[in-house]
Amino acid sequence: MQTGTRISLAGHGLLMGWVVFGAWFPSEPLPSRVQQVALISAEQFEKLSQQRQAPHIAPEPAPLNEPADVQPAPEPAPQPDPEPETVQPEPVAPAAPDPQVTGIPEPQTEPDVPDSPPAAAEEPEIAALVPQVRPETAPRPVDRVAPEPVAPPEPDTRVDDIVQPEVAPEEGAETEQDVQEATAPEAASDRIVTEENEGEDIAASAAPDVSVRPRTRPARPQPQPAEAVEAAQPAEQVQRSEQEQPAAADTPSAVEDALAEALAGGADAEAPEPSGPPLTLGEKDALRVAVSQCWNVGSLSTDALNTTVVVSVSLAQDGKPDSGSIRMLSSTGGSASAAQQAFGAARRAIIRCGAKGFNLPPEKYSQWRDIEMTFNPERMRIK
Amino acid sequence: MRKILAALLIGASALAGAGTAAAQTGPLRIEIDQGVIEPLPFAVPDFVPETPAAAEHAAQIARVVAADLSGTGLFREVPASAHISKVTGFDNAVKYADWKAVNAQALITGAVSVTGNRLTVRFRGYDVFAEKELESALQFTGTAGGWRRMAHKVADAIYSEITGESGYFDSRVVYVSESGPKNERRKRLAIMDYDGANVQYLTNSAALVLAPRFSPTGDRVLYTSYESGFPQIHVLDVGQVQRKILSSGDGTMSFAPRFAPDGRTVVYSQTQGGNTDLYAMDIGSGQRNRLTSAPSIETAPSFSPDGSQIVFESDRSGSQQLYVMPAGGGEARRISFGKGRYGTPVWSPRGDMIAFTKQNKGRFHIGVMRTDGSEERLLTASFLDEGPTWAPNGRVIMFTRESQGSTGRAMLYSVDITGRNLKPVRTPDGASDPAWSPLQR
Repeated sequence: MQTGTRISLAGHGLLMGWVVFGAWFPSEPLPSRVQQVALISAEQFEKLSQQRQAPHIAPEPAPLNEPADVQPAPEPAPQPDPEPETVQPEPVAPAAPDPQVTGIPEPQTEPDVPDSPPAAAEEPEIAALVPQVRPETAPRPVDRVAPEPVAPPEPDTRVDDIVQPEVAPEEGAETEQDVQEATAPEAASDRIVTEENEGEDIAASAAPDVSVRPRTRPARPQPQPAEAVEAAQPAEQVQRSEQEQPAAADTPSAVEDALAEALAGGADAEAPEPSGPPLTLGEKDALRVAVSQCWNVGSLSTDALNTTVVVSVSLAQDGKPDSGSIRMLSSTGGSASAAQQAFGAARRAIIRCGAKGFNLPPEKYSQWRDIEMTFNPERMRIK
Repeated sequence: MRKILAALLIGASALAGAGTAAAQTGPLRIEIDQGVIEPLPFAVPDFVPETPAAAEHAAQIARVVAADLSGTGLFREVPASAHISKVTGFDNAVKYADWKAVNAQALITGAVSVTGNRLTVRFRGYDVFAEKELESALQFTGTAGGWRRMAHKVADAIYSEITGESGYFDSRVVYVSESGPKNERRKRLAIMDYDGANVQYLTNSAALVLAPRFSPTGDRVLYTSYESGFPQIHVLDVGQVQRKILSSGDGTMSFAPRFAPDGRTVVYSQTQGGNTDLYAMDIGSGQRNRLTSAPSIETAPSFSPDGSQIVFESDRSGSQQLYVMPAGGGEARRISFGKGRYGTPVWSPRGDMIAFTKQNKGRFHIGVMRTDGSEERLLTASFLDEGPTWAPNGRVIMFTRESQGSTGRAMLYSVDITGRNLKPVRTPDGASDPAWSPLQR
């Protein structure tokens, strides 16, 4: 029997079986949709149709300003402007009281400025399609300019990096409580506020605050003859440590010295090349942010603010910098004097913020034992 | 084809691997491009009195040093109540840990001794976190009456070492002292320390005086006086308070004088036949040289520090604007193009900027711009701000601010060129038209 014939027979058999026995397996009827309708009369339908007609347009528009004829809308009670900011301004709390000097002109007290409105209370509910815009507040003249603006702390608050509520001992409490002073970060603005631009509102924009430019890859140092390097150094005002000076390593004595040092377990043996997994971008960013918080360029000269310095530092395993290891590798953009000022600010930043140890993964110590930090003040210049 | 693709992929992965390996060699490299701008905390314990008579001066000098540094807005004093260490001897070792604990990043210690009328001040500065002494350890000796100047010199040395800019505390300001109601104001020349101390009067108030200007060495002052009924330029020797008239021709009005950097030439405005132009005069010979010859009003000239150019204001374009021309005269180049009117330009001692007064929409501003007119920045805004003058280091500007109304009063203010640290300069009476001296020697 042909295969086609078999298939045909099987198919026809199934069809006939379904016709004969299909009624034995009743299926549930499909649910019917019910829609309620209202019957209206012909007159009512006529009225509805008339309302669809275009409204009559007067040849001349009626005068717009007729307040007498216009029923005033039930406005809510006029909300006064956020008066608390102007009526009860909070002083811009300096971190420390100004020096009391008799017979010397006192520094002008900064004009009282309205405090920024509480962001949480006034943050509008925004539909999902609308990009959320960071609420911009009028700039406040404060002593500190930092990447992230900080609202002035409460008057009785001690300035500290960590925010802590005040804990006072309760009277009559049975258990002894630790008294804790309220602390908050020092007030800061993200820009230099002058009298001219004080109080200027900045139009809120959905645009990103910072346009990150692609960074150029640093050029690799080209090996140069020792003579050329020595000749170029005074012109470029590049200060390099003796260890980084390209030595004449090809001389037999240098080779012997290097061999002897390696055999004796010298510096290279103690400081092997970094191995293992490198630091993640997040770990690098955390270190960058930690140093940034202490990099104070406020007392630098304009010349020093044009100077980029590259500083090397060695860290101990607990993340604390070795003060003696901090060296300026190179500087660009300013005089030797300006480079020294810029290096001083960089060194203070590393020592101050590293005093408690930078938060770095211990298992990657070989990766971050030696660090080269480039302090580039381009974004910190007067804008 | 498949073989070619596989080879390419293998090559690319090998290159990527090589790149990763290269990134892992050498020290970790990071770039810091965001910092903070805040006053640098410093501590100045009272200087150590090395003789019994020096106790009072030892405390006073420390206070003036602290006030000088704090007054810049770049430094903030750690109050004495927060100090852990007490400095009992000038040569004692510094306990850096104690100063680090109170976050004093700079420490200034000193000692004072008095022998007869001779006062000797020694001081040292320390970078606390680097645990090293600054290089500015010095000793000053002078009369007891000059203790304030010695304190200013100490502050200048510390300021200069930490900021990298020269100081400006040991300098003076000549200005017009104003007293009496607005419609009957009496004006006389006065001179004081930069911080308002030691005020002395150079003229009486019999005649109206205007626009005093220091010579480059600070020993003479040019000013305009109405003593003869119309404005004439006088030159006054500050040390001997002797003055003489710079003759500019009979029946002519001369005003707005300013010294050239060489101190021998004066540039000024002169009105002749209803036209005001700029002239230069050799003080020794009295020889005059006309620098402009336009039908418009040219005035308020100021030399560049190298003496090669002059910036001035002119209304030749229909409104008051700033122009720069060669010191010997010649074609002038307009440098101000913003809205409003510009006047009283003054070249910075550093030579990189020009300060000016700007009037726009009924408000007055003190501003700065580059010498080509670019990067204009307004630092102040008020009912009436005018007449800027530069500190010797080109970092601070002093100017006149007058308040509104019949009881309005003129006062001196200073502001950093960043626009920060705006503050009044205390004077006994009203004050206007300040001119900052160079650093004293």
